[in-house]
Amino acid sequence: MRMLPVLTRLAWRYLWRNHRRTIIMVSAISVGVWSMIFMTALSRGMVDQVIEDGVSALPGHVQVHNPKFLDDPSVVNRIPIGDAELSRAFSSTDFKAWASRVRVPAVIASEYESRGVTLLGIDPVAEREFGYLSYDDVEGRFLEDADDNGIVIGRKLADKLETRVGKRVVLMSQDPDNEIADRGFRIVGLFDAEVPAFEEGNVFIGKRTAQKMLHIGDTTTEIVFLGDNYRDIEPTYDKVLASIDGSLDVSRWSEVATYLGSMLTVMDGFVLIFMVVIFLALSFGLVNTLVMAVFERVREIGLMLALGMKPSNILGQIIIESMLLLLVGLVIGNLLAVATIHPLRGGIDISVVAEGMEMMGAASVLYPRLYVSDMILANVIVLFLGFLASLSPAWRASRYEPVEAITKVG
Amino acid sequence: MTAVRCVDLCKTYRQGDEDIKALDHVSIDIEEAGFVCLSAPSGGGKTTLLNAIGGLDMPDSGEVWVADRRIDQMSKGELAELRLSSIGFVFQAYNLIPVLTARENIEFVMQVQGVPAKQRAEQSLAILEEVGLSGLEDRRPAEMSGGQQQRVAVARAIVSRPALVLADEPTANLDSKTSDELMTLFTELNRHHNTTFVIATHDQRVMRYAKRLVRMLDGRIVDDIAQDAA
Amino acid sequence: MNIVARLAWRNLWRHRRRTWLTVGAMVFSNTLLVFMISMQFGMYDLMIDNTLKVFTGHMQVQAPGYKDDQKMRQTVPDIVPLAGRLRAEFPTEKIAARGWAFALASSEERSYGVGIFGVEPEYEPQVSSIPGLIAEGRYLQQSDAPEIVIGAVLARNLRVGIGDELTLLGSGRDGSFAAAVATVVGIFESGVPDVDRSFAQMPIVAFQDVFFMEGAGHQVVISAPTLEEAERILPDIDAALPSDEGLVMHDWDALQPGLKQAIKADMSSAFFMYGILVVLVAFSVLNTQLMSVLERTHEFGIVMSLGLKPGQLGRLVMLETAMLGLIGFVLGAIGGVIVTSYFSANGLSIPGMEEMAANFNLPPRIYFQATPWTMAIGPFVVFVFTLLAAVYPALRLHKLHPVEAMRVN
Ligand SMILES: Nc1ncnc2c1ncn2[C@@H]1O[C@H](COP(=O)(O)OP(=O)(O)OP(=O)(O)O)[C@@H](O)[C@H]1O
Ligand SMILES: [Mg+2]
Repeated sequence: MRMLPVLTRLAWRYLWRNHRRTIIMVSAISVGVWSMIFMTALSRGMVDQVIEDGVSALPGHVQVHNPKFLDDPSVVNRIPIGDAELSRAFSSTDFKAWASRVRVPAVIASEYESRGVTLLGIDPVAEREFGYLSYDDVEGRFLEDADDNGIVIGRKLADKLETRVGKRVVLMSQDPDNEIADRGFRIVGLFDAEVPAFEEGNVFIGKRTAQKMLHIGDTTTEIVFLGDNYRDIEPTYDKVLASIDGSLDVSRWSEVATYLGSMLTVMDGFVLIFMVVIFLALSFGLVNTLVMAVFERVREIGLMLALGMKPSNILGQIIIESMLLLLVGLVIGNLLAVATIHPLRGGIDISVVAEGMEMMGAASVLYPRLYVSDMILANVIVLFLGFLASLSPAWRASRYEPVEAITKVG
Repeated sequence: MTAVRCVDLCKTYRQGDEDIKALDHVSIDIEEAGFVCLSAPSGGGKTTLLNAIGGLDMPDSGEVWVADRRIDQMSKGELAELRLSSIGFVFQAYNLIPVLTARENIEFVMQVQGVPAKQRAEQSLAILEEVGLSGLEDRRPAEMSGGQQQRVAVARAIVSRPALVLADEPTANLDSKTSDELMTLFTELNRHHNTTFVIATHDQRVMRYAKRLVRMLDGRIVDDIAQDAA
Repeated sequence: MNIVARLAWRNLWRHRRRTWLTVGAMVFSNTLLVFMISMQFGMYDLMIDNTLKVFTGHMQVQAPGYKDDQKMRQTVPDIVPLAGRLRAEFPTEKIAARGWAFALASSEERSYGVGIFGVEPEYEPQVSSIPGLIAEGRYLQQSDAPEIVIGAVLARNLRVGIGDELTLLGSGRDGSFAAAVATVVGIFESGVPDVDRSFAQMPIVAFQDVFFMEGAGHQVVISAPTLEEAERILPDIDAALPSDEGLVMHDWDALQPGLKQAIKADMSSAFFMYGILVVLVAFSVLNTQLMSVLERTHEFGIVMSLGLKPGQLGRLVMLETAMLGLIGFVLGAIGGVIVTSYFSANGLSIPGMEEMAANFNLPPRIYFQATPWTMAIGPFVVFVFTLLAAVYPALRLHKLHPVEAMRVN
């Protein structure tokens, strides 16, 4: 440890003795690190958006269903507990937001067309917090309460049904006895959504209106809870588990939408692989630089050994030199990454490939997401693997025999 | 106590098909506070002997003792420790670390030894003055003449008052005045601090300062005479 | 080898380790590029193939506007005879007529909304993979029987099996109420839950009866033997359509606009990474060649004082670089070919990717596309950038003055 300042000073001086080589290597490291962070931020932005949209399209971070409901989403498989009892059970708890709702497949028909949709019977007041729709941006109006007699549908769906606000549509589903339950509704509002499938596939009616239409008393098909954010739902999950009837099925969003859940994992793996690959491409240059740096001062290494420096000090000196080189590159690379991502935080317009992004479930504006954890990961990977890569040249440098090194010709 | 003892040292280099005996059954004892000049024609084995004494190079056979410790069987680490603590080196060529200034080169050994910065500064500036290089402390080797570089190397070798100084042609690049000054400095160190000097040289003037003159030829000691130092 | 080439070759091996490390960077990148590009294009092929072969086909004849709105009224009149005529005119293409409607399908216990295709039972198997995926029962046979085949998930949800009856409720072409009863004769299972949950097929004549289609349908699906063939034949088929009805022809890109764009989006991120790889290799080469020029300053000085021009030395450096690049190219391409031919024969499956893959209509195992193009393009670009990287070191030689150069060292 005593040697650290000496070795660091030597390493730093040697680094700049051949400044051209160092500058080239620093540029390479900076570009590599920049690309690691930049690319990760873009991919994260895209995947996060897909997941967030996906999560908000099936609102509720933690969901409770009848165990049979997810495989057979019929009103037959509803939750046997009525709203009155639920309110009593949850009145003393402190969930950020919760709501019970009727969600069943249905058919909507205008005078011209019919389409399959998901019927959502909701209490608009209880669900405002869930934020999947901005009630105020609805053309016309959104539902006012659970007894609302109107229906709110997506604009795209309205186009396909050739209908508009103020017109009537018929909603058909089944009641628990498999009788067709149908009812006419007046369209009171049209909503827009980022994700077209959400706009086309969901229609909203009042919860009690839905219960009446489907003849299910005050029962519902799902109870949903909001966590603090979609990545951090375990506390909410545990609380729901503790406070709900054990015969019901409690699931995290990542279990309901397994595809989205696995996307998160795959993404983490991809980020790691990408960073390691970029580093490997860099590592050849790094090792090369160190080999050259050692080669051109074999004599001086011999001299230091002759003067009484231990081989381990030589090893340390080369490794410190490598670390300094990497650090300079890292600092520049990180700054570069922040400097290029920051101006893009308002989003990158990628509407040229909008439909392709839609196919992947993403919207047409890409917001890069720069996570501190990703930045740290990139830096740690570079430093750690860089350390490993420098071991071999450093080891060789420390193995020189002082006399041979000093008398080396060349 | 003997400062250096060599017993029957042999060292052979293979050069193509022929064997060159750089050291051929060399035995020599150098007493503490000795002041020995090794002289030999070029290729006579001076550097090889100095390297063997300094533990830089292992003889093929024979024993080397420094300060009553046998060094030819020491580990690299022990040798490094020994050189650091008790031997000062002046090499024939390539003496200085090019990325360090004159003063940093001089302080280098002390720094490795762990001498505090303040003491290092005092000693290095003092020694620079003694070798006549005041004012050049911040120059790098590339910015100094061959003789100046040589003096920096000498300053580094003696600054931490080692018990033994091994100098290989320390005056090779110096004019007669500076080389006299340098030898006077060596002599004083020898007298006041009992530093043992082993100096390889061709230089007649340098030999005058020696208490003992050892002549080598083709790796053998051919002559070993005590003399009154100048 | 002439003297200059021999000199260049010798110079290259002055620092073996350095040369091999530089070559190593090239080989690494080249192998990786070949690997990734072959995988990528193999994947795109599969994506296109799998997506198109489920329903879409290579092209479709539709009424104008139907592609975007899918309204019942936007029909192709007399669709079965039209399909028959096209089949006769283009015997190499697979052609089938379809109608599409939405209906509420009810069994004894359940009701679900489903999309119902009216298909020609004898020709549909040629344009769609669904008929081949019958897991239970059989596919449709007669074009007028009140039969229906449904997806496996739908069958489970409706709790019906072979021989059970389904009641269909929907609206007909004119918006009037349409109802029918059909017997389930087959259940298909594609493995893609969305497909297995939301579609059913019935014979087109029966379909036309139920939904008051009066002989019309919605799409004539055409599949060519290959994608290229499809692009080539499209104008011919377009010209053979009846001119008075304003029918339009859509190619697969228009029918599945997401597909090409998803590929484009994926390509742009992939090419970003390739670009970075190439740049990093270029840095490596730049570094090596600059070192090799700088350390020979003294030597170059002597040669120049003997009368060699900087340009000639520059060419020497470029030649050295070209040799370096060529070694990297050859070894990298060999590495790439080995890796790629392995994976194009055995396929690559990434654990944990199955679910993602299914979502993009991909099988869990990806077979690589090994064409000369996918194998050569990466190494070629690396080679070009290698040469570019040597330009700066070569140009530096012009700044060399013999006397100054010789003073170094
Ligand atoms: N590494 C080596 N390999 C081969 N031969 C060597 C090596 N080192 C020294 N020699 C040979 O050993 C002999 C003694 O060399 P040494 O360097 O000890 O001579 P020297 O007396 O110091 O000469 P000079 O006055 O020229 O410095 C010489 O013949 C030399 O050529
Ligand atoms: Mg010598």
